[in-house]
Amino acid sequence: MDKKTVATIAYLSRLSLNEKNEDKITDDLENIIKFVDQLNAAETDNIEPLASPLEKTAKTRPDKITAENRKEIFLERSPKSNEDYFLVPRVVE
Amino acid sequence: MSIQFKTIKQLGKMLNNKEISHVELIQETFSLITKNNHLNAFVTLNEQESLKKAEILDKSPSSSTLAGIPIAQKDLFCTKDLRTTCGSNMLSNFIPPYSATVIENLENAGCISVGKTNMDEFAMGSSNETSFYGNVQNPWGLNLVPGGSSGGSAAAVAAGIVPAASGTDTGGSIRQPASLCGITGLKPTYGRISRWGMIAFASSLDQAGPMTRTAEDCALLLNEMCSHDEKDTTSLDEKIPDFTKNINSSIEGLKIGLVKEFDLSKLDTDVVKVFEESKKHYESLGAKFVEISLPNISLSVPTYYVVAPAECSSNLSRFDGVKFGKRCENPKDLEELYIQTRSEGFGDEVKRRILIGSYVLSAGFYDAYYKKAQQVRRLIKNDFDSAFKNVDVIMSPTTRGAAFEAGSKGDDPIQMYLEDLFTIPANLAGLPAMSIPNGMIEKKPIGLQLIGNFLDESTLLRAAHNYQITTDWHLKTPEVMS
Repeated sequence: MDKKTVATIAYLSRLSLNEKNEDKITDDLENIIKFVDQLNAAETDNIEPLASPLEKTAKTRPDKITAENRKEIFLERSPKSNEDYFLVPRVVE
Repeated sequence: MSIQFKTIKQLGKMLNNKEISHVELIQETFSLITKNNHLNAFVTLNEQESLKKAEILDKSPSSSTLAGIPIAQKDLFCTKDLRTTCGSNMLSNFIPPYSATVIENLENAGCISVGKTNMDEFAMGSSNETSFYGNVQNPWGLNLVPGGSSGGSAAAVAAGIVPAASGTDTGGSIRQPASLCGITGLKPTYGRISRWGMIAFASSLDQAGPMTRTAEDCALLLNEMCSHDEKDTTSLDEKIPDFTKNINSSIEGLKIGLVKEFDLSKLDTDVVKVFEESKKHYESLGAKFVEISLPNISLSVPTYYVVAPAECSSNLSRFDGVKFGKRCENPKDLEELYIQTRSEGFGDEVKRRILIGSYVLSAGFYDAYYKKAQQVRRLIKNDFDSAFKNVDVIMSPTTRGAAFEAGSKGDDPIQMYLEDLFTIPANLAGLPAMSIPNGMIEKKPIGLQLIGNFLDESTLLRAAHNYQITTDWHLKTPEVMS
């Protein structure tokens, strides 16, 4: 883990790290990664990964619309909107 | 008559016998909240709405099981038209247009949600020190942490302000604060309680549960909290038993597993002494102890610190400043809007976990970390499956010690992560687990953890209730404002 890697993952995470914290965060991440490296001790050949404790297929339900359209309240409670859309800085010139 | 430190059962009786009116109960609750303001247990109060509900109940009595019972809700559950911050600056202005299913279930049963409790930011922490809204004070002592992440809920119940609170548990966030505050807390089987409307941290681990003064009250709440919910694809469609039904049955012959790999010699002698006394007590109630082996259990914390951050980095990508929550001022373009909003909105621990998650999920590292951790997760689950062929419950201390002082873990995150050593395995395997008070160390409470087999909360509650009707650790109360 070096500053360059940290800068890359910070960008992937859409976070900016201030310079004051950069060293501390690099050290912390380095230590946490070393800590989780203990996992290498486990013999996991041919072990199927477990993504969730419930290994059941999700139950299906009839394909009916159950939610009401609540556009107005969602737009009203957003940081910036007009009557139809969430507003963000212009993307296409 | 004071309502402080009363259980749900006791308050229900007082209401039924008209010793107190619904409005009086709610007024008293808010008076206790105000007097114990220094605990910083609540982020947002719901006084007007609560009084309105109480007035209705006084006018037209309800037969609902929990009619008029005041409950504190962890600020991680969406509550319709009531601010929900998740302990974060990111959601400091968020007013959900809907309530979580579990909140609806509790309110339909008659509970009155009096306020939202403080918590570690996005439930990431074990001491409530990561909250944007300040530390919560443990009622048992000045400058002691209440544990986390459900620290405000635990403190509110421990101070006797409310008989019950909701919590969530991703790696111990109900059980660890329950232990440190001397209350009873239960994390049900993964899938028992709907996660719809619960702000997600790590979706394959998160589970809501009750925090109360007694196992009996836990059972009463659990009866109402559980439901099959079509809105949550991981919600279990299994029969929900009446959890109070067999709670009084004897535990004669109950087989309790002791994990060989939990090296208790590394703990303080006081912690070991308390644990040994609980063993003796269970023996006197007719339980039998069996040594079991969970060979991969020592890898639980490293497994968790890959799986949980990975899921967190994905879940928290929704906080982008566009549709809800905070947005930075005057971004020059869309990318700056995202980056500035997230950098201002999240605290250090949340950022740390997002970064770890992005790292372990990134191309080239995915197999080495995320896939590997999921494989080890299966090994841990298999270990539990084998163990439960021979035992009914598994017992351990809940925590490595009693409540510690704020700031005492220094700034090494791993020291804080190890706080959840005993609690994390149940989340990885999706098993129900609870913590009950079982002793005091230097005038501070500590808890005993019981882990149950899949869907077998009933046995846990029976074991806990049998312990509580023959001991008085759960009846101890701190000196707080009354």
